[in-house]
Amino acid sequence: MRTRGRFLLSMTALLFVAAALAMPVSGQGGAAAIAAARKGVPPAGPIPRRADGKPDLTGRWNGSGGVLHNTVILEEHPGGFGIQAGGTLIIDPKDGIIPYQPWALAERNRRREDANGYEDQVGHCEIYEIARLASFAFDIAHVSNGDVIIHHTQHITRVIDMNRKQHLPDGIRLWNGDPIGRWEGDTLVVDTTNLNAKGRMALGGDFYSADARLLERFTMKNSNTIDWTLTVTDPKVFTRPWTMTSHEPMTRERNVQNFDGEDTCHEGNVDLVHLKNVYDQTHGKVPWPPVYPEGPQGRWGAGGTR
Amino acid sequence: MQTGLARLLILAVVVGAAALSLSPNMTAQAPGGQAYTPPRTPTGQPDLQGVWRAWNLAKYDLEAHGARPGVPAGLGFVVDPADGKIPYQPAALKRRAENSAGTKDPDPWKNSDPLVKCYLPGVPRITYMGWPFQIIQAADVVTFNYEWSHKKRQVPVTAKVPPLPSPEDVLNWNGVPRGRFEGNTLVVDNTNFNGYAWFDMAGNFSSAALKVTERYTLVGPDTLQYEATMTDPKVFTRPWTIRMQLQRQKDVGILDYECTAMLDELGIHHTWPREFEPPEP
Repeated sequence: MRTRGRFLLSMTALLFVAAALAMPVSGQGGAAAIAAARKGVPPAGPIPRRADGKPDLTGRWNGSGGVLHNTVILEEHPGGFGIQAGGTLIIDPKDGIIPYQPWALAERNRRREDANGYEDQVGHCEIYEIARLASFAFDIAHVSNGDVIIHHTQHITRVIDMNRKQHLPDGIRLWNGDPIGRWEGDTLVVDTTNLNAKGRMALGGDFYSADARLLERFTMKNSNTIDWTLTVTDPKVFTRPWTMTSHEPMTRERNVQNFDGEDTCHEGNVDLVHLKNVYDQTHGKVPWPPVYPEGPQGRWGAGGTR
Repeated sequence: MQTGLARLLILAVVVGAAALSLSPNMTAQAPGGQAYTPPRTPTGQPDLQGVWRAWNLAKYDLEAHGARPGVPAGLGFVVDPADGKIPYQPAALKRRAENSAGTKDPDPWKNSDPLVKCYLPGVPRITYMGWPFQIIQAADVVTFNYEWSHKKRQVPVTAKVPPLPSPEDVLNWNGVPRGRFEGNTLVVDNTNFNGYAWFDMAGNFSSAALKVTERYTLVGPDTLQYEATMTDPKVFTRPWTIRMQLQRQKDVGILDYECTAMLDELGIHHTWPREFEPPEP
């Protein structure tokens, strides 16, 4: 009980942080905004196709449903402390519970502790992990060599290599791995390895190891709908492979592009300092000084994306 | 004690890592850019797509310079004015010297180079820091996807270019880009700079009044000519232009380099108070 309360409290604190950083936490900021973003999209028709007959995924997509909790916790959870109740995103196994090995479940729960919130990469302004990115709007573009580009939030770009068969050498480890794509019928399958395991799948501490293999399936259903699933295979952490999906199918939004933003989340970020100080104090480390004694005493801004 | 070591490490990571990218290709000078006819994209634009990288010394100093610790001597990249020197106003030249002197401190807070704090490099610096970037073209937008801290610039190239935001609303490290094609050349005009970014590790700088016009021209199948013209009446006596060749990287795509994450892993402060109003030049 107490644990859950603390967890929710800390998640709430982090949500405030996210808000302060002007992170697009709900993709577009709530269900009303989602509805507005879909206004004007022509009714769903047949799957649009490219010259080679494969589905044309070009456009802006959002499967968040405008809810925030998918970036917080992946399994079924009660509401409270500013977090909406939500069902599980796990579609396999059927019980909706991530099949952690016992040690890994303990580790996931440790990461949920208040005092360990700073370990979450998003609190550092570091990049969102793949499962988390599925809770935000994104743009897909096809390149003439067949590659698929996904423009995610926070300037994160994934270049899905459609021509390469072999993954990068083992020594190259990347925040969001090495994605290689292929078509299976009308489904774009993206196979990602070479992860560095520095990111979390959700604020709630869900994780995999650097040896995980992530298999995403983008299945176009009609001109306005893509079904997305993510299957995680990692014998080091889980007892079996498991699969999650987005809150709702990825749904087409109007192609609104903002060319002029710049992600400067880590500049003058008081919230980051606060999180780190809490972490340091709890873990017997020396916190950062509140401000540097030397040099210009600049203004602490809110950080965020301008 | 740990901090001292970490600071040395960070200097190596943030500043020195640029040194890993040296190759003899820097001598490849292509003529005016007209001799080569580039392939076209399906929408008829010159096809500049691919992964590009500057294998040269521009990151250290845009002007001709002697050796410094960790910095090889080399020629400069300023092609106009003809003397190869950035045309500073006298007061600005003094500021450049102060900037340069301040780059020796391993403490990111005290070091004068904004890049040591993992602040965004600015344009044109991000082009030739040594990390690769990928050009992706669509009908209405050209995307520059940079490996350095996964930064991205999206340049609208439509006939109906969106209006520029007011400097009151948007001031960016990398400015705000607006593009167009002139023959085989992608021309990008950049404004709305915040005035804090530098041009290189030698302290070359500008004010928020900076305007940068970049010109990307394919001069061979694997060679992209890069030109940038800087205009800033508060700092320079006249516009000036740099030119260099970028090489196509064929073996591997864009990987990652998360600058602030590396500071954090080294136990270094990676967020600082700072002024958000443009500095006085």
